Amino acid sequence: MVFLEVFERIFTFEIVVAAAVFVIILGVLVVALLLSRKPSGDKRKRDSHPLIEGIYALLLAGVAGVIVYVTASAHQDVQEGPNGYQVANQAGAIPVDVTAFQWCWRFDYADTAKSVTGTCREKDAGLPTLVVPTGKPVELRLTSSDVIHSLWIPDKAVKLDAFPHQTNTVTITFDEEGRWLGRCAEFCGPYHPSMHFYVKAVSPQEYEQWQQQGTPA
Amino acid sequence: MTTDLTVAEELPEPRERLLRSWLGTTDHKRIALLTAGVALVLLFVMGALALTMRAQLAQPEQNIVDNETYNQLFTIHGSGMIYLVVTPLALALGLYLVPLQVGAPAVAAPRTTMLGFWLYVFGALAVLSGFLTSGGAAKEGWTAYTPLSTARFSPGAGTDLWLLGTFTSTVGMILIGGTVLWTALLKRAPGMTMLRMPVLSWSVVATNLMVIAAFPSLLAALGLIALGRMTPDLFDSNLYNIGYQHLFWFYGHPVVYVMFFPFVGAVAEVLATFAQRRFFGYKATVLSLLAFAALSMSVWGHHMFTTGQAADDYYSLTSILLIVPAGIEYFAFLGTILGARLRFRLPMLFALTFVVQFLVGGLTGIMVASPVLDYQMHDSYFVVAHFHYTLFAGSLFGLFAGFYFWFPKATGIMLRNRLGHAHFWLLLVGTNVTFLPMFWLGLGGMPRRVATYLPTDGFGTFNLIASIGAGIIGLGMLAFAANLVLSFVRRRERRAPDNPWEAHTLEWATSSPPPPLNFDERHPIPPIHSFTPLLDLRRERSS
Repeated sequence: MVFLEVFERIFTFEIVVAAAVFVIILGVLVVALLLSRKPSGDKRKRDSHPLIEGIYALLLAGVAGVIVYVTASAHQDVQEGPNGYQVANQAGAIPVDVTAFQWCWRFDYADTAKSVTGTCREKDAGLPTLVVPTGKPVELRLTSSDVIHSLWIPDKAVKLDAFPHQTNTVTITFDEEGRWLGRCAEFCGPYHPSMHFYVKAVSPQEYEQWQQQGTPA
Repeated sequence: MTTDLTVAEELPEPRERLLRSWLGTTDHKRIALLTAGVALVLLFVMGALALTMRAQLAQPEQNIVDNETYNQLFTIHGSGMIYLVVTPLALALGLYLVPLQVGAPAVAAPRTTMLGFWLYVFGALAVLSGFLTSGGAAKEGWTAYTPLSTARFSPGAGTDLWLLGTFTSTVGMILIGGTVLWTALLKRAPGMTMLRMPVLSWSVVATNLMVIAAFPSLLAALGLIALGRMTPDLFDSNLYNIGYQHLFWFYGHPVVYVMFFPFVGAVAEVLATFAQRRFFGYKATVLSLLAFAALSMSVWGHHMFTTGQAADDYYSLTSILLIVPAGIEYFAFLGTILGARLRFRLPMLFALTFVVQFLVGGLTGIMVASPVLDYQMHDSYFVVAHFHYTLFAGSLFGLFAGFYFWFPKATGIMLRNRLGHAHFWLLLVGTNVTFLPMFWLGLGGMPRRVATYLPTDGFGTFNLIASIGAGIIGLGMLAFAANLVLSFVRRRERRAPDNPWEAHTLEWATSSPPPPLNFDERHPIPPIHSFTPLLDLRRERSS
């Protein structure tokens, strides 16, 4: 699951950087508070130091450069290759047209004309389930039939907006079997809070069976 | 010439004309106090809306308010805080102080400035009057994305009133920002060169440059919605939907710094005053403020990473580059206090807390500016936590640092110390208890703008903690209100001297409160040789 791996890797990286910066600044602040009690008083004469300020600005630019480099290369990982945002028309990928509407989801499997939808109203029972096979890329083609929605699978760190009159594509391969909750992330009106769905990854055999028999997997 | 315009106000006024003299004033100080007064009242109103939301979210599946009402609450809380509370407070701070700090007798174009205030009041009333309509107030979020905000999906007068009010008050803000910028650039006293303007005045210059450059884009975006409410078919084209977001965020990111810069300036003045030093790295700070403002115009697309229709890497680059000017400002803050003899008065406590707490908002800002992290965090409670750390734990602490600092100057009244400390400590605890848990809620998968959640989501504990924190903030704000009321009632015993904090800049050379034309024979403008004229004067005398 490249999306989650990339998220966790970069999140760890940025948390470490942020924590270091926070500790340094807090440390200097505490030192300043402690020093302010020294009996000798304030002896500093100068109130700027252009050389140090210049070197420091360059250092900051370097830090910014490293962060941009690390995150932008990670961004490549979720845009290129078999999985990623705007990855489309890949050989062997299963195309699914995802239509968000006020206030639920419809999943149309383009190859088999199978369609899944629900009401999203009565909790678990009314939620549509997007069934996918493990190990095979699934191409979600997102659109909306009314306002802007956003497809979010929090456990997999995947999010992409569904616009009306526009198709956004994301290709995802689910490595393991399981069932995860999907949510609408873009505020879309009164029933936005309950606009959920499930993603269920099953073995390729089970997926074929489900496609042919139509029994809920 | 200015004396001719304002001579009437110099005469003592009979009591019955007091109200009229305030409501029709051309004195920048009075216009600023009126603006700040209205904004402070609205701060309490918007805070009450927030407390209602926190009550609703304290436990899963509660029904204190229904979805429709909740959506109105977060829409008016968000738009109220941004359009009607923090932006006006930020600009009012500049309107009050810039003419004083640069030694001008008045603001440029005072009637235009006053018109700005009245447009703001009218706009605020229009937005709030939505609650009185049958369909309720606007409920599309402060961002009002199309096509949700068109008449097809959000019929009703509430949204119309929101549009009208937001548009009008934004025009008011552009007028106020423009005249204050004009004052700083062209109405300075002899000797007050650009590089002798105090840091606060510079921060206001940078702020108002952003107001002039970015706010008209909001007017265009609101105009687009208005057009869409008359002809909803307009948004049957993706161009207009994504176009709206570009117009909106071209305003929407600079406004974040409009609500932040004047408080950076306030914190800089407070730190320098209570460190009894000149602010460290003045020129670097001025340069960084201007660079920050310029760069802020190029980052808007980082709000649109998940649209699939923005150049994510470019906006990520420009956003992360903000580390440079922000880092320089922090360097200057720390350089000012390191090794100094600090006086821990109330404004200083707020200022020091601002430095630490805003940092949390800034550092998490770098995270959401990284597309691969934003794909998970966008529209989740992580973002809610992030921007409340910048706006509440950051900007509002800077605001209160400035408020306690300049209140004696503006009113001639010293605020109470004990209630002030209660306010500070309750706010310090309250903000962190409220907003820290929201980071985990977001990472755990809680979307923003949801009226409720299920027990199975596992969001209950953190939400309960956040709601308790909101209650603590509420208590802190009550202490603040009590302080204002009690200090006013006992104002005769609490008279403020001209320069109670031994501060450095020109506004402290005049009386508290200053005379109508800011300086007079008894309070002349002292010689100006640097950005800290009063400190120079004190040092000359002591040597």
